[in-house]
Amino acid sequence: MNCPDCKEKLDRFVDRELTNTELLEVQLHLEGCPDCMDNYEFQASLKRLVKRSCDCDTAPPAFREKLRQLLS
Amino acid sequence: MAESPAQTTFADEALGHLDTLYRGALRLTRDPDQAQDLVQEAYLRALRYQHSYQPGTNMKAWLFAIMRNLFWDRFKGSRKEDVSLDDAGDFMLYEKLRDEGARPEADVLDKLAASEVVAAVEKLPPLHREVVLLVDVEGFSYKDAAQTLGVPIGTVMSRLHRARQQLQKSLYDYAIESGIVRGSNGQVAHQ
Repeated sequence: MNCPDCKEKLDRFVDRELTNTELLEVQLHLEGCPDCMDNYEFQASLKRLVKRSCDCDTAPPAFREKLRQLLS
Repeated sequence: MAESPAQTTFADEALGHLDTLYRGALRLTRDPDQAQDLVQEAYLRALRYQHSYQPGTNMKAWLFAIMRNLFWDRFKGSRKEDVSLDDAGDFMLYEKLRDEGARPEADVLDKLAASEVVAAVEKLPPLHREVVLLVDVEGFSYKDAAQTLGVPIGTVMSRLHRARQQLQKSLYDYAIESGIVRGSNGQVAHQ
């Protein structure tokens, strides 16, 4: 595997959507390519940042209670 | 009238996914009041059609699908937003920052405020925003996201890829505006 192949599979690697064979190929490439490894770590951090930034909102307690009563 | 045990179980399980639905609605509508209206309507519809839910399958995905379908019914006019996704080209924030001499993670990513990331997500057109919400925020697999959105897995992948490029472009623009990076020659403004 070369760097463009790795880059092409990076989304699916970060999202854990590769097949076992593809996963091994990417892991092997990353171990020998510091630049792709840095890129992977950046993409993974960005994904975590998006999650952390967006998932702190929770439904207001009064709204939850209102729904509980509506659904019962 | 007293609720039946089956109804209680369904309601309890459904309400266990409330935060996911509320967050999704909040990001889609960008308005807390509209988000509550949308979620409430989604739950009432779910209750009405609970017979169509197959126990043991992914209730979170089922509920999210109801909610986003209602969103699209209500906001059909805004579908035209989707053609307005800027062509971010092959914009990769990591490569852009590295080429400009910054340390992409330490110098830039660690300095981005959560509010700016949320703003960048909310700036995405809804069709792209909802894929980011499902896959990146709620951790859906491509398959579950495809099922929820009623599109092929390939569409999920391509929308996600474009959404991430646009998101990275927005974050880069913000990093320049806020002085985290300096721009085309890209020295880092704050070490």
